[in-house]
Amino acid sequence: MIDSHATEIERIPAVQRMKPRVGKRHGRRRYTAGDSVRFIVLCIGAVGMVFPLLWMITVALKSNSEVFAIPPTWIPRQFVWSNFITGTVQINFWRVFLNSVIIAALHTLGAVVSSVLVGYGISRIRFPGRKLWFYLFIGSMMLPGMVGMIPVFHLFASLGWYNTWYPLIVPAFFGNPFFIFLARQYFSTISLSYDEAAKIDGASHLQILTRIIAPMSKPMIVTMIIFAFQGSWNDYLQPLIYLMNPKLWTLSVAMASYIGTYGTPWNLFMAADLIYMLPMVIVFFVAQKYFMQGLGALNASGLK
Amino acid sequence: MPSSAKTRSSWRSLRMREGIAGYLFILPSIIGFSTFVAYPLVSSVYYSMTTWSGWNTPQFVGLKNFVYMFTTDPSIWPSLRATALYVLMSVPTGLMLGLFLAVLLNRQLPGIKILRTLYYLPVVLPSVASLTLWDFIYNPQYGLANQLLNLVHLPASQWLQGQSTAMPSIVIIGLWGVGGTMIIFLAGLQSVPMELYEAAQVDGATRWRSFWSVTMPMITPILFLQLITGMISSFQAFNPAQILTLGGPNFATDLFNYNIWNNAFNGQQFGYATAQVWVLFFIIMIFTIVVFRISNNFVYYEADHSK
Repeated sequence: MIDSHATEIERIPAVQRMKPRVGKRHGRRRYTAGDSVRFIVLCIGAVGMVFPLLWMITVALKSNSEVFAIPPTWIPRQFVWSNFITGTVQINFWRVFLNSVIIAALHTLGAVVSSVLVGYGISRIRFPGRKLWFYLFIGSMMLPGMVGMIPVFHLFASLGWYNTWYPLIVPAFFGNPFFIFLARQYFSTISLSYDEAAKIDGASHLQILTRIIAPMSKPMIVTMIIFAFQGSWNDYLQPLIYLMNPKLWTLSVAMASYIGTYGTPWNLFMAADLIYMLPMVIVFFVAQKYFMQGLGALNASGLK
Repeated sequence: MPSSAKTRSSWRSLRMREGIAGYLFILPSIIGFSTFVAYPLVSSVYYSMTTWSGWNTPQFVGLKNFVYMFTTDPSIWPSLRATALYVLMSVPTGLMLGLFLAVLLNRQLPGIKILRTLYYLPVVLPSVASLTLWDFIYNPQYGLANQLLNLVHLPASQWLQGQSTAMPSIVIIGLWGVGGTMIIFLAGLQSVPMELYEAAQVDGATRWRSFWSVTMPMITPILFLQLITGMISSFQAFNPAQILTLGGPNFATDLFNYNIWNNAFNGQQFGYATAQVWVLFFIIMIFTIVVFRISNNFVYYEADHSK
């Protein structure tokens, strides 16, 4: 009895406290003491997350002697901007940068086109076996990547593709399971009556896809492009296995081997590493919305 | 009647055409699945029972590779131990930290979008770029890590070069990317219906209580999904060992996938490496099945309760 009385009293302020949280309709809102604690903890954590990157930037701007100064300086005494030039020219960085761009662009083209086609086939055309194929494609995501690595390496080597870019590009043209899943989820939100109307007008499936469905799916396709490009840009294992010739290397292999050489100049390395990161950081800030959209689809799969 | 027979046959030819169109559309993936999934899966069973340098013809040797692995190979147990340690250290900490941050970030605070962005930022960086950065951070003499320890008057550490500190150092690098886990939890938290919290409030539940009785049960499917995917990917971790430690010192970070890669592409033992891949695959399967079994006890699916 005493208990129920206590909750009776607590209830009123509790509900009031909850109110601002319900929606943005309330113009002004008050922050509780808990909110301030939360905010401070989050800010400290965020500084911790960004700190390695800030340190990286300061090292990249230091002179050779200042890198190893004791006690260390947090802000460079003089800003050596030329590190960005010296650091990149020394290791033939821009040539390798171009390699990475070409490979990532072709990889992205292949992955997006093929996955959109397959996603359309699975979600908009009725034919026997489509469910089975869909589950096979999706199920293959669970398979450890290493299982395929050696036989596929052997296959590509016997085609004469060792030490070429083909193994990094060609497989992308045969559909990416996650993208197919993404496409199917997105296409299933578009009403079938569009297809039916187009069919009555005599449109083929390819026309329905390219004229109606794809233009309506622009946000999903942008998400795909970002993920595909990022996947190729960041990939390390594949180029490591297939590319022996340093002239063919991607940035991932080049940067990893740069650090392996004895006595790497820190400031020059950090400068080059920053430029390697930069495209991903820019894409992330410009297209953040699409990043989150892709992750949202991943999340929806978990809810089922 | 001829007209109805005609419509039936045209109906059948339409279905036929739809079937052909359907298979043409998914053809890329059928080829991809056969070439990059089915064929390797089947052929690697055979390759795992051969000695094979990768360039010559495989010689069938039966189960010799597996016998050698568990009786002679001196690196196998340290490698399995390192891999297990990595999974045990990185998966639970990643999940807990990710959920903790998601709960903190799931609130309308000033600048919340910027905060979320900053926590997610390390995830988008190329793995090689962040690993090489951390290699400098962990440098015992001039690295940031020891500078910070020095600042708070703690003894310096050997980090990647110490046998007992190498693995935790790698796990910390992984935790820098906790934003990936966090953002999925955050989406999960935001899909919990508000009414449930309001109902709990009316029943007099405290914040703490409604977290355990409302939030946790509602996000168990996401927790489960992240546990499975986190486990599968941790078992296959490769880059940190290859780029930072070369498996050392003294096998402390000899992750199994690195061991496999090393045997195949440095040791030219493709047959043996394929056998190792199957062992890894088998271990991952067992853990996945066990987690699935256990999950029946704690994962809450709304559909089950409506029955």
